[in-house]
Amino acid sequence: MAFANPNITATAVEATEFMDLSRRYRVTGVPKTIVNETIEILGALPEEQFVESALQAGDESPAT
Amino acid sequence: MGLLSASDEAVLKQHLAAIESRVSLVLFTQTIGGSESGPVAKQVLDEIASLNDKIEVVEKNFVLDTEDRARYGVEREPTIVVLRDGQDTRMRFLGAPTGYEFVPLVEAVLLAGTGNLELEPATVTRLAAVDTPTNIQVFSTPT
Repeated sequence: MAFANPNITATAVEATEFMDLSRRYRVTGVPKTIVNETIEILGALPEEQFVESALQAGDESPAT
Repeated sequence: MGLLSASDEAVLKQHLAAIESRVSLVLFTQTIGGSESGPVAKQVLDEIASLNDKIEVVEKNFVLDTEDRARYGVEREPTIVVLRDGQDTRMRFLGAPTGYEFVPLVEAVLLAGTGNLELEPATVTRLAAVDTPTNIQVFSTPT
């Protein structure tokens, strides 16, 4: 996703090495995705669902 | 001893042969008092880079290379930043990319090296509409 748009940054975090981040985002299961500190996505979703869930953060009124 | 078996290396080398652009894996580590996973990350990257001459590992010092840290927004170590022909792809890896992180790393290298997005056309259209900074962090574990 980051590769597709310069506004997007994607970081893979090794949860056990960065316990402070895991605590901050309440990571109790993996994979867990955090978008712009606010949106949480738990587990692996199908691509379309994942993108829609993730992009709520940067786009409050998605085009229809 | 290498982290990859000879047969894994052979398969990986075949996949990486599709790479056309130069891929730089910029690794930020702290030599003194740094994370134990820094040297592991280095070994993983070196093994990947040894399989294709278009892939290079660029080592940065987390403490001293503050300008590079600021450029790529690196706040922890080890961090790997993936570049395509010297340009930031905005793909990052925090921690040693072993276990479940290894395949995503290889995919990031392939994406940077080939430019082939393996996403649905509808996804690409949706992503193109994103006009505000969007920071996605995916947490996973090695096993």
